[in-house]
Order: sequence, then structure tokens, then C-alpha cells
Amino acid sequence: MYLLFNLTENLPILFKVDAMSIIFAAVTIIIFLGSGIFSLEYMKHEQKKKRFYVFYLLAFLVLMGLCFAGNLITFYLFFEMLTLASTPLVLHSGSREANMAGLKYLFYSLCGAYMALFGLYFVSKYGNTLTFSEGGVINQELAAGHTGLLLVAAFVMILGFSVKAGMFPMHAWLSAAHPVAPAPASAVLSAVIVKAGVLGIIRVIYYIFGAAFLKGTWVQTAFMVLTLITIFMGSMLAYREPVLKKRLAYSTVSQVSYILFGLSAMDMNSVTGGVLHVIAHGFIKAALFLCAGAIIYMTGKTKVEELKGIGKEMPLLMWCYTIVSLGLIGIPPTGGFISKWYLAMGSLETGIPGFSWIGPVVLLVSALLTAGYLLPITIQGFFPGADYDYKALKKKEPSALMTVPVLILTVLTVFMGLFPGQLISWIQQAVTKLI
Amino acid sequence: MDFIRNFPAIAILLCLFAGIITSGLKQKAARILNTVLICIELVLNGCTLFYTVITGEAFVYVMGKFPAPWGNEIRAGVLEGMMGFFFCVIMLLSMLGGKKKLFDEVEESKMSLYYVLTDLLLSSLLALVYTNDLFTAYVFVEINTIAACGLIMIRQNGRTIEAAVRYMIMSLLGSGMLLLGICMLYDLTGHLLMSNIKESVQLIVAQGSYRVPILVTIALMCVGLAIKSALFPFHAWLPDAYGYSTVSSAAMLSSLVSKGYIFLLLKIIYRVLGFDVFKNSHIIDVLFVFGLMGMIFGSLNAIAENDVRRMIAFSSVAQIGYIYMGIGMGTKAGMVASAFHILSHAATKSLLFIAAIGLTDVSGGSRKFIELTGAAYRNKWAGVTFTVGSLSMVGVPMFSGFISKLLFAQAAVQNHAKMLPALIVLAISTILNAIYFMKTVIRIYTPVENTPYEKITFKDMKLYAVILVCFIVLNVLLGISSQPVVDLIEQGLSMFA
Amino acid sequence: MREIMMFIVILLPVVTGIVIPFLPFKKRKHMEIFLESFVILNSLLVFWLLMNRPAEPFTLAKFTGDLTITFKLDGMGMVFSGLVSALWPLATLYAFEYMTKEEHEKIFFTFYTMTFGVTLGIALAGNMLTMYFFYELLTLVTVPLVMHTLTREAILASRKYLYYSLGGAAFAFIGLIFIVIYGNTTDFILGGVLNLDKIGGRTDVLLLIYVMAFMGFGVKAAICPFNSWLPDAGVAPTPVTALLHAVAVVKAGAFAILRLTYYSFGTEFLKGTWAQNVVMVIVMFTIVYGCSRAVKETHIKRRLAYSTISNLSYILFGAVIMTPLGMMGALTHMVFHAVMKICSFFCAGAIMHQTDKHYVHELDGLGYQMPGVFAIFTISAFGLMGVPGFAGFISKWNLAGAAVESGNPLAYAGIVCLLISALLTAIYMLTIVVRAFFPEKSFDNSKIKEYRDPNWKMMVPLSIFAILILIFGLYSGPIVDFLTDVANGLY
Repeated sequence: MYLLFNLTENLPILFKVDAMSIIFAAVTIIIFLGSGIFSLEYMKHEQKKKRFYVFYLLAFLVLMGLCFAGNLITFYLFFEMLTLASTPLVLHSGSREANMAGLKYLFYSLCGAYMALFGLYFVSKYGNTLTFSEGGVINQELAAGHTGLLLVAAFVMILGFSVKAGMFPMHAWLSAAHPVAPAPASAVLSAVIVKAGVLGIIRVIYYIFGAAFLKGTWVQTAFMVLTLITIFMGSMLAYREPVLKKRLAYSTVSQVSYILFGLSAMDMNSVTGGVLHVIAHGFIKAALFLCAGAIIYMTGKTKVEELKGIGKEMPLLMWCYTIVSLGLIGIPPTGGFISKWYLAMGSLETGIPGFSWIGPVVLLVSALLTAGYLLPITIQGFFPGADYDYKALKKKEPSALMTVPVLILTVLTVFMGLFPGQLISWIQQAVTKLI
Repeated sequence: MDFIRNFPAIAILLCLFAGIITSGLKQKAARILNTVLICIELVLNGCTLFYTVITGEAFVYVMGKFPAPWGNEIRAGVLEGMMGFFFCVIMLLSMLGGKKKLFDEVEESKMSLYYVLTDLLLSSLLALVYTNDLFTAYVFVEINTIAACGLIMIRQNGRTIEAAVRYMIMSLLGSGMLLLGICMLYDLTGHLLMSNIKESVQLIVAQGSYRVPILVTIALMCVGLAIKSALFPFHAWLPDAYGYSTVSSAAMLSSLVSKGYIFLLLKIIYRVLGFDVFKNSHIIDVLFVFGLMGMIFGSLNAIAENDVRRMIAFSSVAQIGYIYMGIGMGTKAGMVASAFHILSHAATKSLLFIAAIGLTDVSGGSRKFIELTGAAYRNKWAGVTFTVGSLSMVGVPMFSGFISKLLFAQAAVQNHAKMLPALIVLAISTILNAIYFMKTVIRIYTPVENTPYEKITFKDMKLYAVILVCFIVLNVLLGISSQPVVDLIEQGLSMFA
Repeated sequence: MREIMMFIVILLPVVTGIVIPFLPFKKRKHMEIFLESFVILNSLLVFWLLMNRPAEPFTLAKFTGDLTITFKLDGMGMVFSGLVSALWPLATLYAFEYMTKEEHEKIFFTFYTMTFGVTLGIALAGNMLTMYFFYELLTLVTVPLVMHTLTREAILASRKYLYYSLGGAAFAFIGLIFIVIYGNTTDFILGGVLNLDKIGGRTDVLLLIYVMAFMGFGVKAAICPFNSWLPDAGVAPTPVTALLHAVAVVKAGAFAILRLTYYSFGTEFLKGTWAQNVVMVIVMFTIVYGCSRAVKETHIKRRLAYSTISNLSYILFGAVIMTPLGMMGALTHMVFHAVMKICSFFCAGAIMHQTDKHYVHELDGLGYQMPGVFAIFTISAFGLMGVPGFAGFISKWNLAGAAVESGNPLAYAGIVCLLISALLTAIYMLTIVVRAFFPEKSFDNSKIKEYRDPNWKMMVPLSIFAILILIFGLYSGPIVDFLTDVANGLY
């Protein structure tokens, strides 16, 4: 543990490294690196590059702080900072739409942060300490007789952090903010920054209140219901959405709730699945957004229906797109399959009446929908149909600065699907201590 | 030192004689005589006050050496001395402060008449203060009424005549009721001297007979005096009478005449009926309620008023409401507060009238608010004085009004049943006061461009400025070192009983 | 000697103010130097007093009977007087620059400086009567400042201000009377002075009186529904709005309520009664109401005024929790909010002074022309929102901590109000920041080319406040410890 300084006597700003920090930090670094490289090319057609990079790097810094935060107050500090540092990324283009979306993002996030703060006040009274410790910090003596209050606090905190993770009913910012940001920014927003909310929920459930405290309570049930609703609703919305980047944003809504569902089940396997999905979804969603960015950069097309024959124009990129799409649907041998497998398994094992089987069903239906909204692009892209004008076809493959990051992310996704053993056992080791 | 015992009688007679002499004098001589007279009265009353404070008890002066119960008596205690003294001070300041205006507004031929009336007014006031005899009181009430009518009417325009007539009718109604009350008391007790009546009344009440007649008597006398002192809802005569008469008259009427009647009421309560008899009658609650209503409605009327003089006049209605509220509380503290407010309001109201005239003079004589804009820059002294008066009325600490408010509130807390209404109305009334007085203050301090009216400086109004300063000093003195005055009032009230 | 000094620090600014119009200054600069040196001198004297605290109260005069004008420097007095003395010299410096564009500044500085003394009078008041006295006086000396521009708007605003303030004082007066009658003494003693024997079975009446007095003093602290004077009073020059209507006057209201609650009626008497619930609900409502109005408002200064309304009720929220922790929270927010709000107001003033822009929608792109001002504004915005690392977080933490600690369910609801308010604060503050730094694409830069950051007289106070916000946010230990001691009655 490294103590930076004391905000007040009982509010130390301190850092700590544990399994969760390492996983989240690793994902963050890889994706920021990838998007960063991508942005070198992409940002050529945007204005005010310097300003973009200032906030891009600032967001990175803050995320690092967030990952290694050792107690709740430090976490909260960086959580708010993250909102403030990432808003300019959304605002960047300066269009009216972007401004509105930026403000929407800002206020939703702050709203979430303040909900988290509400719980924080109570934790600071009823907890022994604010430092994250496996199994929770709630002081049983103090809490006796106040369980109801603490459950409310826990629920409000979970809800608060879930705003960032785009969970229903506070998901509306996501579909507005992600599409208007420059592609590298959308990639990190969708792949990493929403995960800050996930990390927050992990911390709250497993490191502050403790799974034992929440298991079987109404908080768990309510949380689970919300995640399931979000999974289904996100997919449906994505399925109906004509604009590619928005479709991906809705997909994020749905996919991040897979993770949250895993966390809500509070079962060994489901949590493992959730953490695995953090990694898998991170890589996949970053790759998808970068693809979408590259398409916009090269062709200026944003709508799905305009993308006929895109596979002929930029085959390499679209191959990557297809592979990661399969990953998101959960088809082996990609990372997405592994994570979903564990999620479904965990959910079956929980033994909570009803949910143990509703969960997997929803996951499956959502996977089908995922296929439904991602694969048509591939299909139309490579098989544009008879009336496609092959003469007008020009190769528009983007430069290496753009393709290489996407490629790397795709490879990582597949690699994770092929050789997950080491990773899984390591995560399971960490998760065991939490349950 | 015992010759001082003659002073109250001398003071009253001197005024009467001065009045008679003045009627034969020219304007200037009359004025000088009047000023000198008031100064002498001041000294005489001051001595009386001093003497009673030193000896610590009241004395009775028997006119013409006829012993009770037939003779005509004068009684002087601390409270009487103080009131007499204070009335003289206010009168002096009002006369001097309104002098210039007097020349403008009153025809030269009537000037000496004005001074005659003033002298008579003073004599009747002093008689009301000092008399120990109900019938004498009644006689001087009438003299007072006549003198006051004259003072209103002396500035001759249509409005004042109407106002005077109205005043006279209302006043006579009041006097008539008072007279009826006195007659009934005489019927019941067979006495006219206050101390004798009191003994009889105590006896009658102790026996439990004549309940209704006593109640009716109390009611008649209270209502009669309430009409004369313009307690709400009998205040209809007041705004015109104060609003349109010449300023000295207005100042004297509002701060002296109505206060003389209230003081008479205090006297009747303590010296004729006995405090407990009064307290146990329900009339006291009626007075209390009307006092409260007066506080509110007087102020509301003042807010609606568009004429600064009439606004101040309506404010008097509210302030008289305060005094009756204090009386209506039926506690000693309430009485003390009322007595103090008689002084405090007299000092403040005459100040406001005199200052207002300075402001209207530099606004082309118009009393409408719109014309008064920026008046305080044109006549700085009057502006500051008016502000002081306003603050005192609102009850800002350091000025006399605050002490009144403090005493009233403290008195209210001691009467559990009447506490909440009294306090709440007190607070609301403060707010209302703030509304119309502060509105005026801000108005006169709002600068205006291209005004046709000229500034006047200290040189043009030396006497006036000095008078204003005296008023301010008086007000602040009452506000800061009120304790001696309050002590004297308490002492005086205990001498009453 | 030290005792008399308490009176001198009140008198000195008043006298300094009064003599200004009569001194023949050849140049404006001379007046500036004269004033600034006296203000600084007075502040130094106050700090000297804080270091060498006079043990005995100093009785200046007897009003009536046992009512005296007495000065005493206790813990709360130390906080408020220290706060005021620290801010005044900086605000005066700022005012010199700001007032170059306004007329009759001598009159302005007269009353501005007099207000310093009167505010100290409230801080140093040793009993209820003295406080009431200076409280009324404060209204009177600040009215000319509101009236200053003498426009129709200003006149109406000052009228309203007067009516509200004097009206509030009228109700506060009732409280004063009850303390006089039912208290053992009118002096301020932590824990209250009520004589429970005298009260007998009349608790309910006394509670009603408390509520009335609370509302009465609450007028200055702009509680709902008596708040509309505050935004209107924003027509005054910015130094007035910033210092008086964000700090001195309105905090005097909050200060008076703290005195009333903790030092006169006593928390033991009030805690858990219906009176506490009533005032708490009012305060909570004001917190949310002020913020929502601020969001709706597009005039910058009025927006900040509404923000003040809400933040003042934070302080009052701490006060009505009625525990030492609550008082500590209230005091913390009193100090921190003072710094933050004066900072944001001064930024608004600087913008108005440099560009003559008064509305939020006119601020597009100004962030690049006036980076200093807007950077500082952003800091103050973060502070007000309660971002960790800035002052506002600490005070909110203390307030919410006190609310949690009190175990009062209504106080929990209060935390919710605080957080809703924080969100709304973010909305109304950050929209300004976003506009300034992220103008819309189509925005034409050339229109605002000539605008620049103001000169050092404005920037120095601004920077100091910004730094203070950060220091309080990151290193609040000593000051919070001190305030805790105050709330526990160690001073």
C-alpha cells in the first residue's frame, strides 16, 4: 500500500495493487495504446489535436489512478476526475450534438458519482475502514440493527457506479456520447471507461460490503433484474439502430451488463466469467469502434445500409471486424466464448430460484440478437449482391497506423479464446478469496 | 423647597393668563411671549419632576384651600411631572420647527390667535396631566378640543375646515361619552375627586353590587377617550386633521393632544377605577383587540397613501394602536411600555412631521411621493432627520422606537394568553412600518436629474436645522439611555396606586 | 487592553468609512492606499486578537436593565471574524479595479468599509442583544451599496432587501425577547441559556418561537420562501455581491442562526422536537430549490446568487442537525463556501468588467481569451460541486458525516438533498465552463478578439482564492481540527 497523502485525518489517498487492479490496468494500457496509435492517423482530419491528446492522456492517467486506488475515497476521487477528464473527449468535435451529448454524459456520470457518494457517507460510519479488503469492511457491531439502511446504501452505490457502466435505467448517455466522440475516444470510452463503473461495482460488492452481506438480499435480486433487463434491452436497441457507431454503443450497454450480471450472481464462476468478459469485451469493443472509425475516416459512411460492399473495399479491416464480432456473439475460439461460458455456468450454479435459468436464457437470446446486429454488416460487406457496381470499387484499405491496432486487438481476442487456461486459473484464484 | 408644590397650579394658570394677554398683542410680541412661556413652563414642570423624584412621593395641591371632598385638587407625581415636562419640550421644538411654515400658511391677522390657541392647548394639557378631579378634567378636555379645532382650522382652506368640523363632531361625541361616564360615576359614588371615587368604587366592587353600571361606566369612558385619541376604528378624523393643518399644529396634535387623552385614560384606570377593577372588566380585552387591529390597519392605510403627511398621520393610528395594546395587556409592564411609548412616539412623530415639511418645501410644496424624489439631497438635514425618525418607527436599535418595541414585547411575554397575538402582530406591524417608511426614505434618497427645485443649505435654515438636531438627540437619548426614563415611569405608576 | 481592542476593530473601519468623503484626496490612488492600509491594519488587529484572545467580555454600554452591549471573542466569533478579516482586504483590492467603471465611488467605499466594522460587530457580539443590534445595523449600512447604481432596478432591489431584512429582524426580535425572559442570561453560552424551570409546561410555545426566530434570521440567510431579495440584490456592483451577498451579510444570517440554535436555545432543548423537523424540512427544500432556480437562470450573477441560496442552506442544514458534528460541518461550509463563492463571483465580476457580458449564452469561447479567469472559475466550480481535492468536498463530507452520525432519518433525506444539489450545481456551473472552453464549431472567434484577462488587482485576489480552494481541499486537517474544537466548545 502506498499512502500519497491524507485528505483529512480519516480520508487517506492511498494506492494498492491487487488482482483486479492488474487486470483492469492491463486492459486499459493495451487499449489506450492501440487507440493511441490509431488516433495518430485518425486525428489528422480533426481539429484541435493538442487539446484532444491532453485529455486523452489525462483520462489515461486518471484511469491508472482508478485501477490502483486502494480505498473507496481514492476511488471516488479518481472516478469523478475520470468524468471530468473524459467529457472533453466527447465534446471534442464542437457540434451541437456533441455538446449536448457531452453535457448529458457529464451529468449522468456525476449523478452516478453522487449516488456513490451517498453510500460512501454511510460506509464511512458503519465500516471499519474505507480501504478495500476482500470480504468487506462493514463493522458487524455497528451495523447491527441498521442492516436495512446499509442495504439501501449498497444499492444506491451500485446504482451509482452502474451509471458509468450504462446499466438500465441510467444508460441513455451512452448511446448519445459514444457516437459523437472521435473514434479513438469512443473506443476507449466504450472499452475502458465504462469498465470504471464495473470496477466500482466490484469494489463495492466484494471489497466494501462483502458478498456474504449482500447475498440473498433484495439488493442482489434487484441488481440482477436490472442487469438482465439491460442485456436484453441493449441488444434490442442495437438491433433496431441504423447508425453503426450507435449500434455499437447499444451493444456496449448490453455487453457490459453481461459483466454486471456475472457480478450480481455472486458466484465463483459467474464472477470469473464477468472478469473475463471485462477483458474480452474490452478488446472486442475497442476493435469494433476502431473499425467503425476507420470506415468513417476512409469513406465518411456512418449508416449500416451504406456499407454494402465495404468488405471488398477494405478486406483486412472487415476480416478483423468479422472475427471480433464472432467473439462478441460468443462463438469459439474467441475470448467472448470463454467468458460467456463461465457466466452461464455461474448463473446456473447460483441456485437462486428462477434466475439460475432465466439468466442463461437471456444471455442466449441476447447472443442471437448480437449476431443479428453485427453480422449483417459482414454479410453485406462481403456479399453486396448482384446489383453492386464492381467497376466503381476502389481499394480503400486504411494505412498501417489504423489497421495494425485493430489487427493486434483481434489477435488478442483469438489468443484469449485459444489459450485461456493460465488466465482463468489466475482469475479464479483471485475470485476465490472474494466469495 | 416646598414652594415647588405650587408650580403645577402656577403653570396651568400662567398659560391661561398668557393666552388672555396674547389676544391683545401683535404678532411678533405674541410669538416671543409664546416661546418664553413655553420655556417657563418647561422650567416649572422640570422643577416639579425634580421635586417629586427627590421626595419620592406625590403631593396634592388643594386649590382655594377647600378640603376634600368638595375642593378642586391638583396632584403631581413623578409621572405627571415627567409628562408635563416632556410635553413642553415637544411643544417648544414643534413650534420652533414649524415657525417658518406658520408664516407662509397662516394669515397675518390670525397669527396672534394661533398663539392664543397654543397657550390654551398647553394649559389644558397640563391640567389634564395634573388634575385630581374628574370634573376639572372634563372641563379641560373641552378646552383642549376647542383649541385643537382652532389649530386645525387656522390654516384656512377647504380641506382644513372640513377636517376641523369632522374632528369637532367626533371629539364632541367622545367628550359626551366621557361626560356620561363621569355622571354615572358621580351617581354611583357621589364624588368627583379621584381618590374619593376610587375608595367608593373599591367598596362597591367588593360588595358585588352595581356590576353592570360599573361596566358601562368603564366602557363609556374608555370609548370616549379612545375616540378622542383616534384608536382604530375611530380614526377617520385623523388623517385629514393631521394631514392638512399647518405643520406645527399637526406635530402638536399628533404628539401631544392625543397623548394627553391617553394619559388621562391611564389616570382614570389607576386613580379612579383602580387597576384591578379595570383589569377584571372585559373592556380591557376589547381595547387590546382594537389596539392590535389599529396596528395593522393603520399601517396598511399608510402603505396605500400617496401623500407623505397623510402617511405619517396614518402611522399615528398604528402607533396609538401600540399604546392601547400595551394598556390592554393588563400588566404593569404593559402600562410601563405604553407610558414609554407615549413619550417615544411623541418625540418621533413630531420629528417626522417637522422633517417632512423640510422635504416637501424643497419639492415645490408638493407632498406627493413622486415629487419628493431626491428631496434628501436638496435638504440634507431634513433628509437625515426623516431617516432617523423612520428608523425609530421601524424599531431599529439605538433609537427610541426600539425600546418601545422591546418593552412591549417583554410585557407581552408576561401575559400568557395574549402573548402570541401580541408578538406576531408586533412583528407584522414592524414589517409594515418598514415598508412604508423605508419606501419613503429610499424615495427621498433616489437622485433625480434636471430637478426644477433648488437645494437649500444650512445658512437658509439655521433655526430649523438646530431644531432637527435637537429632535435627533432627543430620540437617540431615549433610545440609548432609556433606563432612567423607564425607572421614572415605574416609580410614577407605583405612585398612582 | 485586549478587551477594548474588540471594540476598536469594530469602530476603526466605521470611522475610516465615515471620513472618506471628507478627505480631499488629490488622486484616486491616494484614496486607494489610504483605504487599503486601514483595512489591512484592521485585519491585522483582528488577527492579533485571534492570537491573543481576550479572556473577559467587554461591556460597552447598558441598554436597559440587564441588556447590555457586550463583546466577547469565543470560538464561533473567531471563525467568523477571522474569515471576514481575511477576505476583506482582498475584496477591497478587487473593488478598486472594479469600481473604476462606476460612479460616486467615495460613497461606495464609505459604506463598504463601514460594513467591515459592522460585520465584525456581529462576529464579536457577546450576547443576543448586541448581535441583534449589529444585525439591524448591517442591513442599514448595506442598503446604500445595493442602491449604488441608482437605476430603477437597483432601487426596487434595495427596497425589497430592506423590507425582507427588517421584516426578518422583526421576527428574530421575538426570539430575542424570549431569550431575555426565559433565559438565565442573554450571553452566548454553548449549550443554551434557557431556564427550564421558568419554561414549565410551555415548551411548545417556545419551540414555535424558535421556528419564528429561525425564519427571521433565516431571511438574511435566504431560506425559502424568503430568498427572492438575494438574486435581486445582485444589481449591486460585484464586490458587494461577492463579499456581502455571498459572505458577510448572508453568512451573518447563518451565523445568527447558529448562535440562536447552539448558544441560546440550546440543542438539548431543541433536538428531536417538531421544531427541528420543521426547520430541517425548510432547509432541505431550500437546498434543492436554490439549485433548481440557478439552473434555470441565465444571468451569471443571478445564477450565482441562487447558488448562494442553496449553499447557505447547506450551512443551515449542518446547524439544524444539532450535534457538535453538525455545527462543525456548518462552520466548515461557512468558511469554505465563503472562499469558493467569492471566487466565482469575482470571476463573474471580472468577466462583466472586461467584456460587459452578463448572460451565460454570451460566454462562448471566452475561455481562450481569458484563460486565467476561466481557469479559476473552473476551480471554483469544482469546489462548489464538491469534487474531491477541492474545498467543497471536505465541507460536504463533514456535513453528510454529521447527518449520518446523527441517526435522524430526516437527516438522511437531507443527504439526498445535498447530493441532488451537487448534481444541479454541476449543471449550472459546468455549462458555463463548457461554453467558455468548448464553443460550438460555427463560433466566430474574431468578435471576442480584444477581450483579455484583467490586471493584477483583480487577478491577485482571484488567484489567492483559487489556491485557497485547493489548499482547503487537499490539506484541511488543521482548520477542520480547529473547527471541531470550536464546535465542542473548547474556545
